[in-house]
Amino acid sequence: MKNILLMCSAGMSTSIMVKKMTEAAAKINADVSIKAIPEQALNDHLDEADIILLGPQIRFLQDKVKAAAKEIPVRVIDTMDYGLMDGEKILRQALDILGEE
Amino acid sequence: MDIEQICFEMICHVGDARSSFVEAIQQARQKNFSQALELIENGKLNYHLGHAVHARLVQKEMEEEVNHLSLILVHAEDQMMSAENFKILSEEFLLMYQLFHSKCDW
Repeated sequence: MKNILLMCSAGMSTSIMVKKMTEAAAKINADVSIKAIPEQALNDHLDEADIILLGPQIRFLQDKVKAAAKEIPVRVIDTMDYGLMDGEKILRQALDILGEE
Repeated sequence: MDIEQICFEMICHVGDARSSFVEAIQQARQKNFSQALELIENGKLNYHLGHAVHARLVQKEMEEEVNHLSLILVHAEDQMMSAENFKILSEEFLLMYQLFHSKCDW
């Protein structure tokens, strides 16, 4: 089981993205747990994360998150994929990165 | 297109814009003024895309007298206002850092 952490400023739009990605995971039989957190809650969830995905609205925090995350991969979700709520594509990209680890 | 999809389109454009405006301030701090300017221009482009989505939504409401009100729309508008504030501030910060770096070797 891999844990995917989604981060945005309030955890609101990513909550909807969690729903889309969880649906996609069920469809492709991926063994993942997906959770949305607001930016200020990062430290409380670092232990459980295998990968951290940032919403495009907090792209500017990338360096700070990378510094805090150390070994955990951090990626910014593509603006178009995010805007189109393409949960499956975002999930597959995360799984690809986890597969390379 | 449902309201959730429309709001996501707004959030991704204005959110991307907001990131660019903040990154512009970060670049200006490091004396990278041309990159800062480029980020601001890119941010404006995305801001206008998000703003256009919102304008269409408002027009639709006027024409069809439909009620779109939802928490996610409030959130999208909130993100838009935040992006607009950062747009104004990033331009001011750019000027301020240019002045600062010209007066002080830091």
